[in-house]
Amino acid sequence: MIVAENCIHCDLLVIGAGLAGSAAALFAANRGISTVLIGRTGNLQFTSGLLDLLAGYPVEDANDFSQSPWESVARLTADIPMHPFALIDPPEIRQAFTEFLAFLSEVGLDYYVETERNIRIVTSLGTLKTTYALPTSMRHNATALKEKQPCLLIDFEGLKGYSACQIRETLTRSWPGLRSARVAVGSGREYYPQPLADELENPSVQTDLVKAIRQHLRGEAFIGLPAVLGLSAASNVRQALEKQLGLPVFEIPMLPPSLPGLRMKEVLEKHLSGRKGVKTLFQQEVLEANRTEDQTFICHAGPGEPMVTIEARGIILASGRFFGKGLHATRKGIRETLFNLPVKQPESRSLWHHEDLLHPQGHPINLAGLETDKHFRPLGNDGQPVYRNLFAAGTILAHHDWMRMKCGGGLALSTAFGAVNAFLKMRSTSSN
Amino acid sequence: MVFTVSFYLALSICFFGVFLRMAGWARTEFDPQDSVGSLVRRLSGIFTGSLRILSSRRIVWIAAALIRDVFLQIPLLRAGFFRWLAHMCIFYGFVLLVMMHALGSIITAFFFPDYASTLDPFMMLRNLFGAMVLFGILVAALGRMRRNRFFRATSRSDRLVMFLLALVIVSGFLLESVQIVSAPIFDQMVDDYMGTDDTEIRDPLKAYWAKEFYVVFSEQPSSQDLETGQTLHEENCAACHSRPGSAFLSFSLSRLVGPWALWLNRVRADIWLWYIHFGICFVALALLPFTKFFHLISVPLNLMARAGVGLSSHPGTPDDITRLALEMDACTHCGVCSLHCSVAPIFRIIPNTNILPSEKLMSVTQLAHGKQLDATHLEAVSEGSFICTECFRCTERCPSGISLQTLWRKGKQTLIDRDYPDPHGWVRQLTTDQWADRLDRCRDNKPLCDTFNRYRHAAQDPNTFSACIQCSICTNVCPVVAAADGMMPPEVTPQQVMNLLRLNLKELALGSRMVWDCVTCYLCQEHCPQGIRVTDILYDLRNIAVERLQPVRRPSSRVHPDGCKTDDPHGKNRNEVS
Repeated sequence: MIVAENCIHCDLLVIGAGLAGSAAALFAANRGISTVLIGRTGNLQFTSGLLDLLAGYPVEDANDFSQSPWESVARLTADIPMHPFALIDPPEIRQAFTEFLAFLSEVGLDYYVETERNIRIVTSLGTLKTTYALPTSMRHNATALKEKQPCLLIDFEGLKGYSACQIRETLTRSWPGLRSARVAVGSGREYYPQPLADELENPSVQTDLVKAIRQHLRGEAFIGLPAVLGLSAASNVRQALEKQLGLPVFEIPMLPPSLPGLRMKEVLEKHLSGRKGVKTLFQQEVLEANRTEDQTFICHAGPGEPMVTIEARGIILASGRFFGKGLHATRKGIRETLFNLPVKQPESRSLWHHEDLLHPQGHPINLAGLETDKHFRPLGNDGQPVYRNLFAAGTILAHHDWMRMKCGGGLALSTAFGAVNAFLKMRSTSSN
Repeated sequence: MVFTVSFYLALSICFFGVFLRMAGWARTEFDPQDSVGSLVRRLSGIFTGSLRILSSRRIVWIAAALIRDVFLQIPLLRAGFFRWLAHMCIFYGFVLLVMMHALGSIITAFFFPDYASTLDPFMMLRNLFGAMVLFGILVAALGRMRRNRFFRATSRSDRLVMFLLALVIVSGFLLESVQIVSAPIFDQMVDDYMGTDDTEIRDPLKAYWAKEFYVVFSEQPSSQDLETGQTLHEENCAACHSRPGSAFLSFSLSRLVGPWALWLNRVRADIWLWYIHFGICFVALALLPFTKFFHLISVPLNLMARAGVGLSSHPGTPDDITRLALEMDACTHCGVCSLHCSVAPIFRIIPNTNILPSEKLMSVTQLAHGKQLDATHLEAVSEGSFICTECFRCTERCPSGISLQTLWRKGKQTLIDRDYPDPHGWVRQLTTDQWADRLDRCRDNKPLCDTFNRYRHAAQDPNTFSACIQCSICTNVCPVVAAADGMMPPEVTPQQVMNLLRLNLKELALGSRMVWDCVTCYLCQEHCPQGIRVTDILYDLRNIAVERLQPVRRPSSRVHPDGCKTDDPHGKNRNEVS
């Protein structure tokens, strides 16, 4: 039997503290809903820090950078009416972005958006990445790339998973103004991104870095550095470097886990916890969820063992797919881990993947997830919502392949937005 | 004659022993390399130091300590009421017996000119003090029996001391009871003090004493004229003799031995018992410097010295080491430290008595006196010493005022000097590769001890680490990785340790600096997106490492069944590595 002494009452329980869950908690709090947010935040470190809307549609045309993302969304929802984007009006997607980015800006993590168009930047592999909202530390990345300005790319001795030389070699044909150089910081030992970012917050290390960069400058207009310029969101490492160098400096996103994702994690952890109307239970999980006759959810939660009971009038399930542990794949099939909700999935395990790993259509398993009604309520086997006060948001939803479609950020924010609004609507109808 | 000779013999042994112990204080040195000065220098240090303190204002503190800690024994009261009661009874009972009874003819007679040992209140008080000591011993013994269920904190020396003390008192009571019924003593006293052989005169007194003083005579006195007897008694005896009833314990005992009184009188049991009684007393006196009895001297000295030095002590100076030696001698093995020790519960899992401070102190004392201990003993002391977290509780609680914390530190340093450091110390003498190599060469097929598996499972159970996706978040957040300087980064990072476990290459991780430098801040565990108990696993690996690496630590000390030998039988290269 599960016994927990602490009991929390709330309107809305958001399960999952990834991007969708955090956004849902934020939107709910902004609407005066008393909210509990529970889940591991660790996975946020795997986000790139960029917020995609939709890189392009069809996916094969994603490199057609001229497309407006909104037109792409329209084409996508027309083609795939089951896609989560089809559950929500485009203006609401815009609102979701606006509201979330306003929050990030308020807590010191500024983003740059061009509203009607996508932005394209250089990654640490020398590939080009199309996205919608960009941390301001990467803004000049887009500018430099667009104008093909002469640019010096810097990497650090001992830093793993990043090579300025590789980027230059990959892009040099289309961008001859690129040059690369390697500098040593501190003791020049093997560096992981976070310790390096810590070290770069030290002004004397910054001065040394500026000196080292100057030696390599040959009249370049921009300087590109890996995304390790300071840990805290409000970090002014980049500004300090720009001031001393007298040149615009930009960050290049690295392989996750990397600093932009970590900064996102830090601000969400810190500022959602302090936000009015939100109680956060980070690094804890719901172990068991029951429903009383009056439709209240009783959830037992804790860090591995039950330590707290949460009573909620509604739940938004944003527990993610396999990595987030919202879904669990077994030899017999895929199941949802908390409520054992029916999961839309290929009929047999042999159909999960195409034989070709890099098949342009992607793998069917990557479309698996929960099907919902238009109010984001997961459906049972009978095609009806399982519970009228249980909603789902984020990647756990079916019929999207966010990695391939490059719509992860937009999906998380807009479905969170939609689910919170659906909860509000449900609450107002039930109280009437 | 026998009495005098044996007394002076015992006294000189006692004085000589006390001198030896005190000289020992001036000769103690934890580390022979420390220049602690010559014997003369240190002896004069004691002398001048004491003089300096005694002539300063600190003498007030010393007086206060004397009253509070020595006379009232407040530190013992803090350790427990029954402890204090037992010790107060024994201490005051015994001291008063020595002053009033043993040295009665000198001390008591000085204050009370008409003192006689058989006169009230002296006779009654003697019994009272004796009873106090017996009562105290009883309470102390019961307390020790109770505590022994948890810790074996009673040694042979403790038992010897309690036994000797009880023997002194019991033999004294027996002697007195036999003296009460003794007719031969009566006869001799009458001879000495009445100076007449006339049975006509003696018989009434005899009858009176047989009735009122319970002397048992072999033949009944012819006269039963008690009135005359009483008159004779008042004339000749009353000045020195109270009724035996006031010797309440001895008197009761004499009633018990009554049936055998005639036989006892015939064999002159009183004389035998008298020899036995003072014999035991002299044995105890001679043993004083060599047994726990010595705490009678060392503890008050230590408590006063501590009050005298106060906070102005200079660690490491010769005088300070002298004082530490005195502190080691002030241990009464009372076990209070072990009762309050933070890590004592570990003793229930690892049955190494050197974990208990009360027992460890004996080993540390041996170390300090430069004794050569065998390897097993040293390993046990090292294990016990380095389990200690220096939480200060023992030092705070010690009724003898021993600064145990300082002694533990000194002991640890000595162990390091003798190449018995803590696991952190010796594991780092070799690199990961060298350890793995050694384990490989000396493959011990014995499975890990089952009793220990209970306490560690994180690193044994694949379910704990198989979920690792090698994302490197643990490494990213690790402060040990971040703090490592260019000279000595960890050979493997946390995420790589997890990978070694996944590849079933645990041996490669056991001696790694990552495992041993981990500060258990739990950042990795809290950040792990897969919920892997990274820190718990690292800690677990340490426990396994100690068990697995210890046997192959000294290549020359152990030959394995397959007769393996390593390249470095004398450990010459060890220092180069570290």
